[in-house]
Amino acid sequence: MDSMTPLAAELLHYREDSADTRYFKIRLIAPNKMSAPQPGQFCMLSVPGHGEAAFTFATAPDKQGVFHILVRAIGELTYALFALKPGQRIGIRGPFGKAWPLAEIVDQQLLIIAGGCGLAPLNGLIDHLLKTHRKPQLTLVYGARTSAHQVLNSQRQRWNKQIPIFDVLEDGPDGGTPLSIMPNVIKSMVDKPEKILLCGPEAMMQISALYFLAQGFPATSIWAAIECRMHCAIGLCGHCYLEQQYACTDGPIYRWDQLQPLLRRSI
Amino acid sequence: MNVYHLDSPQRLYQHLAQDYQMYHVVESNGDSVWQKSTHNGVDYEKSDLKINRLPLMSPKSLFFSEQENLFYFDGECFRETLPQPEPFALFAVPSCDLHAIAYQDQFFSKDPYYQARRQQALLVGLDCLTPCSNGFCPTVNAGPGVSPDITDLTLHREATNLWMLIINNERGDNAIKTLALTTADKYSYRRRDQRIESCKKQFKHDEAITAGVAAINKNAVSDAEWQALAKRCLSCSGCTNVCPTCSCFATRDLDTEETDNPSGIVRQRIWDSCLYESFQREASQHNPSAEAGERVRRFWYHKFSNQFAAQFGRYGCIGCGRCEQTCPGTIGVHSVMHAIGDNSLGTNNVEKNSLGNNKKPTGIQGKQSLTYG
Ligand code: SF4
Ligand code: SF4
Ligand code: FES
Repeated sequence: MDSMTPLAAELLHYREDSADTRYFKIRLIAPNKMSAPQPGQFCMLSVPGHGEAAFTFATAPDKQGVFHILVRAIGELTYALFALKPGQRIGIRGPFGKAWPLAEIVDQQLLIIAGGCGLAPLNGLIDHLLKTHRKPQLTLVYGARTSAHQVLNSQRQRWNKQIPIFDVLEDGPDGGTPLSIMPNVIKSMVDKPEKILLCGPEAMMQISALYFLAQGFPATSIWAAIECRMHCAIGLCGHCYLEQQYACTDGPIYRWDQLQPLLRRSI
Repeated sequence: MNVYHLDSPQRLYQHLAQDYQMYHVVESNGDSVWQKSTHNGVDYEKSDLKINRLPLMSPKSLFFSEQENLFYFDGECFRETLPQPEPFALFAVPSCDLHAIAYQDQFFSKDPYYQARRQQALLVGLDCLTPCSNGFCPTVNAGPGVSPDITDLTLHREATNLWMLIINNERGDNAIKTLALTTADKYSYRRRDQRIESCKKQFKHDEAITAGVAAINKNAVSDAEWQALAKRCLSCSGCTNVCPTCSCFATRDLDTEETDNPSGIVRQRIWDSCLYESFQREASQHNPSAEAGERVRRFWYHKFSNQFAAQFGRYGCIGCGRCEQTCPGTIGVHSVMHAIGDNSLGTNNVEKNSLGNNKKPTGIQGKQSLTYG
């Protein structure tokens, strides 16, 4: 049976991240009751009295059940979460959804394009690749509205010691989107990208994918993580529908060619 | 499968009432509704089946509750609150609704709340022998005769005071073990088939439904056509409430003073509707189905797409016609299928003309009573 009842967890600590995000440290009270999430999988976080919403594990729970999530203050649930003090109880269900396609991207030239909070679902993956790859072949392009909106600053500084990172700001000199600096990014890569991962605002993912598709890059080598409203995460409530699929169980990470027939709109 | 003669359904009802909380259809103020028997059998007195209407509300809520508690939070932990019903029986369910229950059984197969109720339920089906007024069960392979795989027991009216009782499985067999019955011969059973066949023939051949289903699956209905249809949708959730296969829900948290649970904060789930504007709206206000036409398309795609049919072994519509009956804006099944089906044949164009001018009379709508049985 698929339970909709969360496991108890404790809010251990948080630190301010960007202008409107916080990085939360959470501990599961009974860590062995949850199976280990893969990079890209998400949990449902409950604040008692204020409902439940989906967040990707920024780090997976360790042996003590301690993990992290990045949260942007937007909507009732997150406001309630931001109002909590360390030590207070919350609920966690998961892990849910499809992970990043690890098997298909290891040892490949990888280009990751992220925007805004879309870096959070990639946090666990990037750390995982940097730890497990002998020679990480990874380039990150990260776009944000302003420097105050850039998330995960300490992580990016740490990663930058091992991999090239290209930052672009909407209000910056380069004109704003990851696309505007893409020619330079590609030029700087010794080997051309073989796989591309996208996570961020839908318009950003759309124009990025189209840019590479127009140059003959195969749609089967692009993955995107989409955002949906979710009430159950187990394929029952109906809210996250994409045609005959439910993003909570069939996604939210989709290969580009498999995503297209599910979209009536352009994402 | 065993087949018996039965002198009166009432005798069966009273027998089952010894072990099951009974539910049956009663007429009240001109409507017919599923109701819990309060006197366990004695209120079901007529020797003939009294029900002769398809109730506007199917028995869906007896399994997938309109509003139910999922768990409560006691300040430390989250405690699941599963329903614990006594064994209950649904008496005289028509084939369409049994197909809907079988559909929901698949959809909610891993849902502990649904299953806690479903596993306590005995289903007694009833063959329809005359078409109901809005139904088109033969078109979607959901009636009017009850197939043995979707019910425990089946009732069939042979003559005024003669009934047939078909035992379809072990649960049904256990339920009638101590009831005295005479075995029916195979000719009686064949005559049942004939009666069902002749009922099928009385249904108006509804090409519009078939054409509408084809149009949906050929992707032949343009966004503008859906948008034109959607102008008639009041987003009232009437169709999703009455539809026996609709299953969308939302969740909400209630404080102790708002609920009957003194132990803490409660999370409930409540029926939701994909036709509400906010159904997919995200916290960021981004809304992938902000267009009403997109939401109406979604509803009918869910009912009639071959993609869903492949997952469930049948269409999500069981042909009861309740959406047509209830819709104040006439975007029920007959109206919609006529509009998009005609269009796919090239005889209609919703895009250019207002739907009202193009809507053809279907002849099976209106205020006629929903008789069946
Ligand atoms: S659609 Fe009407 S005739 Fe067909 S099974 Fe349902 S109630 Fe009976
Ligand atoms: S879509 Fe309409 S006709 Fe079909 S099952 Fe639902 S309520 Fe009945
Ligand atoms: S979140 Fe409920 S079906 Fe996906």
